[in-house]
Amino acid sequence: MSDNSLLPGESDKFPVIKFVSISVITLVIVSPLFLLVVASLKPDRFQILAEMGSFKAFWVSNPTVQNYLDILTFSGNQPFARYLLNSVFILVATLAGGMLFNSMAAFVLACGGIKGRTLVLTLMIGLYIVPQESIVLPLLNIMNKIGLTDTFAAQILPFWASPLYIFLLYQFFSQIPRDLYDAAVVDGASPFEIYWKVFIPVSLPALATVAILMGIESWNQYLWPLLVTQSNSAKPIAVGIAGFFGADSTYWNLAMAASVVMMAPVLGFYLMFQKWFVSSVISSGVKG
Amino acid sequence: MSLHQGPTGALQRPKRWLKPRQQEFLMLLPACVVVALFLLLPFLMSFPISLTNERLIPRPVKFVGLKNYIEVLTDPVFWQALWNVTRFTAMVVPVQCGFALAMALMINQKLPFRNFFRGALFLPAITSMTVVCVIWGTLFQFPTGPLNQIIGFVTFGMAGPVDWLGTESSSMPAIVLLSAWQAYGFQMVVYLAGLQSIPNDLYEAARLDGAKTWGRFRYVTWPGLRQTNIFVIIITTIQAFKLFTQINILTQGGPRDSTNTVVQYMYNVGFVGQKLGLASAVAVILFLIVLAISLLRNATS
Repeated sequence: MSDNSLLPGESDKFPVIKFVSISVITLVIVSPLFLLVVASLKPDRFQILAEMGSFKAFWVSNPTVQNYLDILTFSGNQPFARYLLNSVFILVATLAGGMLFNSMAAFVLACGGIKGRTLVLTLMIGLYIVPQESIVLPLLNIMNKIGLTDTFAAQILPFWASPLYIFLLYQFFSQIPRDLYDAAVVDGASPFEIYWKVFIPVSLPALATVAILMGIESWNQYLWPLLVTQSNSAKPIAVGIAGFFGADSTYWNLAMAASVVMMAPVLGFYLMFQKWFVSSVISSGVKG
Repeated sequence: MSLHQGPTGALQRPKRWLKPRQQEFLMLLPACVVVALFLLLPFLMSFPISLTNERLIPRPVKFVGLKNYIEVLTDPVFWQALWNVTRFTAMVVPVQCGFALAMALMINQKLPFRNFFRGALFLPAITSMTVVCVIWGTLFQFPTGPLNQIIGFVTFGMAGPVDWLGTESSSMPAIVLLSAWQAYGFQMVVYLAGLQSIPNDLYEAARLDGAKTWGRFRYVTWPGLRQTNIFVIIITTIQAFKLFTQINILTQGGPRDSTNTVVQYMYNVGFVGQKLGLASAVAVILFLIVLAISLLRNATS
């Protein structure tokens, strides 16, 4: 890794000041997340609000997991455990179909000999500037007409293919030496065999990148499920949490525990695969 | 066919039930069907729907020409929403990108625990916007939220508590703050990649020419980041114009439309108001805005 700020033979003039300032900034940036976790362990919303304005916001003298028990067992208007399961199911189904469809298409576009693949590729690249926001209402109309509103299918099927992910994988597959493909053809492998036995095993970093992006996208979906779900049986976690914001009073204790639960798996994956997360984010930037 | 022969001509394979091109077709098909049905079709439909009086509830549909566009473009609330996202963009782009660049410059230096700082500073970027709304909704609490307490403390109680999200003048800046906090990590890592792609020779040369820290930034780093800057600013601008989730959860566009946005307006008209035709006109306008910004990117790079 190059280090552009300091050149060889040059001494750092303010190492302590730099270290202290970055420490303070990092602390300030991270403190809201810390506050979230601490507040979620407080017994009720009144204590959370009462202690918000002092240093007690960052400390809990009487920690309890009651909020967590409440959201995970409560089955009334906000069955949070149900939302959580819904989100997990949507995530897994989206990933399973999405990884397969996107990578198969990208493989054919990158290496196949089928007619019209340049046309398909051009169309895909053209489509990825279409913002999701501008197609959701016509899409809702389609779902209405085919009777898929308020289902898991409506939240999974549209995400089984995406121009962005196809393009990212296409770019990666294009860089794999052609010899590898040709050698497999010589050995008599069919396109699917080449894809499955040759390309997939050497593409794990690219697949991981796309899986992370797709997973985060699915987990955080808000606008689309807000439109397409009505009942608790299909609502995902993000829409469920938004339901804690009431007209009169917000159940901060429950909202906070729910937020921690929503964030925990992402954080876990992030801590395990930090490098891949960061590279995923960089590569998602090609979307314009 | 299906008799693949190696260069030696010795290899013979049993007949396959599908020719290679047919197999490729079948591999490409699922993704194409999904994209065609759930992206291309609704996209293409938005244009004709925007010329009708269609509603989400099925009923006879009538062609109304440009009436929806006229209705949207003469609605002061739409202009307020468009003005708001413009205002939001003008605030969030410099704040978010500027902070991201500053942080990238800091963690690109020799620092103890550099990887720890990098990992910690990226945490907000992996936080879902819904969770961000829960956190910042509390921070902005009126009148006893942490932000108000800190301000009261710093000013010795001179500045009274502010209803951040509930006052017209402060609602949008408050949204800017939480949005920038959530998203700057993305720009930070992109800037970091940009910084690391600047060749060290240039810094060496600048040092030989006697350039100090500022001189090196001004004449090496800044020009070296030109492409990164264009990229980051365009992406951030496009995202800013699509502002929705935090608005929908925290303010619903209020107070008095001061945080209403184009997407929230579309949501109100099309989903709450069920006027699909009208909302499609807004969707087309949104698409044209995003398209224009994307073309700007192509023109500048």
